[in-house]
Amino acid sequence: MKIGLEIHVQLPTRSKMFCACPTDGVTPNSAICPTCLGMPGARPSLNRAALEMGLRLAKLYDCKIPERTWFSRKTYFYPDLAKHFQVTQYDNPVGEYGVFDFRGKPIRIRRVHLEEDPGRIKRVGRQGEEMSLVDYNRSGIPLVEIVTEPDLSNPAEARQFLSDMLTEIRHTIGLSDENEQSVRVDCNISVGIERVEVKNVTGLRNMERALKYELVRQTKMLRSKKPIVRETRRFDEERKVTLPARKKEFEEDYGYIGEPDLGVYNIRALAESLDEKESPLARAKRLCEEYGMAEGTSRQLINTSMGLCDLFEEMAAAAGTKASLYLVTDVISSNWSKIKDLLDEDMRAEIIEVARLYSDASVNDIEARRRLRALFSEDEVAETGSAVRGDPKLLEDAVEKAVTANPGIFEDYAKNDRAANRLIGDVINSTKGAFSSQEIVLKVKERLERDL
Amino acid sequence: MSSALSISKIRELNEEYGMFYSIGDGKGLDGSRFHFSAKDNLTTKDHPTTAGSKILSNYRPPFDAAAVERLREAGGVLLGKTSMDEFGFGTFSVNSAFEVPRNPYDRDRSCGGSSGGAACAAALIDGHLALGVSTGGSISCPAAFCGVFGFTPTYGRVSRYGLLDYGNSLDKIGMLAADCATIAELFPLIAGADERDPTSCGHPPMGECRIPASIGIPSESIKGLPPGIRKSFDEAVTKLKDDMGIEVRTLEMPMFRYAQPAYYIIATSEASTNLARYGGMRYGARGKDLGLHFDRYFTSVRSENFGAEAKRRILLGTFTRMVGLRDRYYLRALQVRQAVIEEYRRAFKDVDAVLTPTMPFIAPRFNEVAGMSALEIYLADHLTIPPNLSGMPHLNIPCGYVEGMPVGMQLVADHWDEGCLLQAGMEWGKLFERIRPEAMI
Amino acid sequence: MDKETVRRVAMLARLELSEEEIESFTKDLGEILEHFSMLDELQDLDDYGFNPVEVIDVLRDDEPHQEIPAEELLRDMDTYEDYVRGPRLS
Repeated sequence: MKIGLEIHVQLPTRSKMFCACPTDGVTPNSAICPTCLGMPGARPSLNRAALEMGLRLAKLYDCKIPERTWFSRKTYFYPDLAKHFQVTQYDNPVGEYGVFDFRGKPIRIRRVHLEEDPGRIKRVGRQGEEMSLVDYNRSGIPLVEIVTEPDLSNPAEARQFLSDMLTEIRHTIGLSDENEQSVRVDCNISVGIERVEVKNVTGLRNMERALKYELVRQTKMLRSKKPIVRETRRFDEERKVTLPARKKEFEEDYGYIGEPDLGVYNIRALAESLDEKESPLARAKRLCEEYGMAEGTSRQLINTSMGLCDLFEEMAAAAGTKASLYLVTDVISSNWSKIKDLLDEDMRAEIIEVARLYSDASVNDIEARRRLRALFSEDEVAETGSAVRGDPKLLEDAVEKAVTANPGIFEDYAKNDRAANRLIGDVINSTKGAFSSQEIVLKVKERLERDL
Repeated sequence: MSSALSISKIRELNEEYGMFYSIGDGKGLDGSRFHFSAKDNLTTKDHPTTAGSKILSNYRPPFDAAAVERLREAGGVLLGKTSMDEFGFGTFSVNSAFEVPRNPYDRDRSCGGSSGGAACAAALIDGHLALGVSTGGSISCPAAFCGVFGFTPTYGRVSRYGLLDYGNSLDKIGMLAADCATIAELFPLIAGADERDPTSCGHPPMGECRIPASIGIPSESIKGLPPGIRKSFDEAVTKLKDDMGIEVRTLEMPMFRYAQPAYYIIATSEASTNLARYGGMRYGARGKDLGLHFDRYFTSVRSENFGAEAKRRILLGTFTRMVGLRDRYYLRALQVRQAVIEEYRRAFKDVDAVLTPTMPFIAPRFNEVAGMSALEIYLADHLTIPPNLSGMPHLNIPCGYVEGMPVGMQLVADHWDEGCLLQAGMEWGKLFERIRPEAMI
Repeated sequence: MDKETVRRVAMLARLELSEEEIESFTKDLGEILEHFSMLDELQDLDDYGFNPVEVIDVLRDDEPHQEIPAEELLRDMDTYEDYVRGPRLS
């Protein structure tokens, strides 16, 4: 099975691609102007941010970037297309002949190009006689289209690939998770020789479903020696099947011509001037190599946030890898949503200080976690507990108290030794950081074993 | 300057000559700095804007074209919108769904096109400035037929914001007036960058200008001219030499003959995409029944409302950019344009400007126009097309009369060097005696 | 140029032509294309641009801005609950 994808992602610019209309219009037809309505006499003007985002992506895939790029008109008639031509790229797109390193397997990128989104159509009326209602808020939103060669070999791989790809895109151009839902994919699938295209599938899950459906359908056809026709299909999200797209009266001929209202752009120089940020996957790889991190851990970090990775690397520089990694993967990553909004210079310094103290064993893990929580959580008391550090008598008393407070603990422990956690939790709470968790675990287990 | 002028006089004149599609109320006319008109393919908030097409009947744009806006800001009063060939598709202003303008010197003859109404208004209203638009000669041609100056600047000199497109890489907004000084005075108002039209940005400003010291005449341009036109042109050239001291040379410009097919291919390719938007959904003519399938709906609105010449050019332009034909026609035409530009550049190394007659005949009678084939009409533009195709600024200069009808010559300068044309035009105006049309007001 | 081609091109351009129109356009376009065939003499050209003068790197900053109120733009359009009405889709 061979799969190639055409991935469309809306670029997170503030204004539209060829006009200054905002991209966050909510009420239908509120973010519109003569340009994105295709009114006679209005003209396009290219958004610098959209061009730069396209170039960053072309660079990400190591594409060949031409000296100059320009736009073309693709003419076809549809109610959501204001001018009845789409301004897109035909020759000399922002990038060609790139490659994406998908977990060691190179997936070739045929091209990266920019284009404008048409408006959004709302269908009303009975099926078969649907009328169109058009919202032009979406008309002119910048899109990037990334076209891969048919280098993917099964639906799960395609999904994973797209997911990795989106992680990179999200970071490279600052896409939010919300935008990610709106990724639209045209999938080309061939099980035998003939290629079938499933158009306009939205989101990762639907894409995988559509591919799986096609895999099964085409395999069955081949087994029963029925010919697979080269065709365009669509994915029915509710029934989770692909269906032949409605046959058009005749084939469109887009009749591409250059867009004479925009001119040309010297993009190679512009691309070179854009600062290069390390991509998330490259970073995950480096984290593994540099800090001896497990692959799963590095992915967890990059998937949470690049900011978290930055913090980790700062901590590691000051407090060593082991202590920093423990705190980051534990208390910091689970509280990241709170921390990220509070993370100013002071907060950073305090976090690093805690890591340093923990690293040279000035505080134990429980105290370190407690102090970190105190930094970003209001209900945690900032003061340290009153217990005298390290007095073994205190620990024994605390364990005894916990045993008394948990009748039946010995029976439970006999059945399942995880019951010990109840006592451990109580002792941690009552000793307020005077002992490390290892000490407590050891003492509790000792006590339970003794009376079993 | 315009105290004697009144809207009622203009209305009367328009009954006879049909130069206006729409006339304003003349508010502010008394004591105004100047009065002007806009070709009906320039958007205006207070007038319908139809570009001579039924498909835009009663369309009221929500904004003024940049050129109109700038002239208004400078104290000009817009008298009205001038009649034209539908979307600029024509040489005689007869391809209009509305008013067909009549020649100021003979009402049975054409004004030329497609800015026919503009030329007519410039010829008949004293001190008037008419905004015209040229794609392949739509300013030069009517200016020649109506005996006025017709100035087409370098492509990109004037913002096309608010111009209803014909061919975006060819369209240029210019000016027509009986006196070249009017143009020289007012043109700087509309020239210069406008961020609403990227093609108007990043160009050199209009510089110091002098009358061209030398002029070249391409031998290709004077072959086969009717004797009357030839005589008139030769006399003008003598005057340029003797009275203005300009050195005159003959040039060979063999690429000229290819300019015409290249022009029609580029213009119609672009036009057929520009006109795709007219489908009865957002502006202009509406279809009767939204219950039709969209293909049928768009088809019916377009078929009912586009005129014959618009259909012809849409077909031609759609054909020349089709898969398999695009390289042979569209791309080749772009290459030819580049070659024509280079040919001009070579010429401008030797001379400051290139001179040709403007039109190969005087304004034809309407019945003669009716007998011409589509190809014959296209061929009539062969002298105005080369500078238009290559975006070179040019000026029609009235230079004589044949059978009582005006004859013009066309002076072409290098990109961004339009100043020398206006200087030459003003100097010529001092030497040339214009025959004022009888109906002039 | 033949009638079949004219029909197909007309369909692409969403134009419905009468038999007479097809007849006359076939003749006109045939003559015009015949004239255009002189371009075939020119084989060794390669340089081209989309504009006759250079228009390079004209870019706009990413600042949202709306000049004309949406109501004014929608004034003459056929709308239903803020949407623009369009024809049937299927």
